Amino acid sequence: MKKLIITAAIAAIAGVGYAGPVLALDVEAAKGVIEQNNCMQCHGLRKDKDGPSFMKTAEKYKGKATAVDEIVKHVTSGKKVKLADGSEENHKIAKTMPPNDAAQLKNLAEYVLSIQPK
Amino acid sequence: MANLETGKQGIWATLRRPSVKYSMLGLLVVGFVSGIVFWGGFNTGMEATNQLEFCVGCHEMRDNVYQEYKYTIHYSNRTGVRAVCSDCHVPKDWTHKIIRKVKASYEIWGKITGKIDTKEKFEANRMAMAEREWARMKARDSIECRNCHSFDAMNPEIQKKTPYKKHMEAKAQGKSCIDCHQGIAHKLPKGFKKPGTEEEEE
Repeated sequence: MKKLIITAAIAAIAGVGYAGPVLALDVEAAKGVIEQNNCMQCHGLRKDKDGPSFMKTAEKYKGKATAVDEIVKHVTSGKKVKLADGSEENHKIAKTMPPNDAAQLKNLAEYVLSIQPK
Repeated sequence: MANLETGKQGIWATLRRPSVKYSMLGLLVVGFVSGIVFWGGFNTGMEATNQLEFCVGCHEMRDNVYQEYKYTIHYSNRTGVRAVCSDCHVPKDWTHKIIRKVKASYEIWGKITGKIDTKEKFEANRMAMAEREWARMKARDSIECRNCHSFDAMNPEIQKKTPYKKHMEAKAQGKSCIDCHQGIAHKLPKGFKKPGTEEEEE
C-alpha cells in the first residue's frame, strides 16, 4: 500500500511538472520585433489608437486554443482591417530577421496575449 | 642646384626658379594632365571605399549589420533597386563626403583596437553607434534618404492611408525621415523605444 502511495505521488508530481515543450515568453525579443515593425504607431499596449490595444486583443482571444495561430496569421497575411475611423486598410505584414521566423512571430503573439488590464 | 640670380641652393630655390628649358605651354599641358590624373585617381580611390564590397571587407560589418541588411527592402525588393551602405551612410556631395571620410578614420582606430570585434562587443556598442549615426542624419535633414525619397512624390492612391496620413503630418511638422524611421536596414539596439510611442509601462 505504502509503495502504491509513493508511486502515485511520484506520478502526480511528474504529471504536474510536465507541461509539454513550452518555451518561456521572451518579452525583450517581442518588444524588439514590435519596435522594428512600428506596431505602436497604430496599437497601444492598453490604449486604442487607429487599431485596437494589445490588451483588447488579448481579451478577445482569451481562452481560445487557436489564439496564437490566429494572431500570427493576422500580422503576416496583410489582410484587410478596420481602423478606428471606420475605414479599411491592409494590415502591415510583420517582418522578422531572418524572414518569417515562426518562433519570433509566435513569441510576438504570446506577448500580445499576455497584456492584461492594470 | 644653385639659383642663378640669388645663388641660393636647395629644393625651394629650384622650385622657385623660372624654367629655362621647358616652354610655358609644355609646363601647362603637363600640369593640366597630371592634375586630371591625380584628381581622378584620388576620387576613384575614394569612390572605391563607397562600394558595398569594401564595407563588408571587415568582419565587423559583414557578420553583423550586413546580415541584417540582407533581409531588408533596401537590399532586395520587387523592382530591383538597391541602396548600398554608402547610399545611406556617406553624403553624395564632395565637401560633406570628404568630411565624413576623414571622420571615418576613427573607425580605422576602432578596427585596430578591436572595439567591436566580437558579436558581444558589437551589441554592447550598438546603441552608441546607432545614436551617433541618427544624429548625423538628423543634422542634415535625412538628406541621404531624400536623395531617393520625397514627401511630394508620395502618391496617396498607392501609399496606404495610415502611412500617408503620418507622412503628411510629419511634413507639416517639418520632420525628416530619421525622426520616425530608425532601424529600417538594421536591427534596432536592444531597449530602444521609438520616439512618440512611449506610453504606460507594464
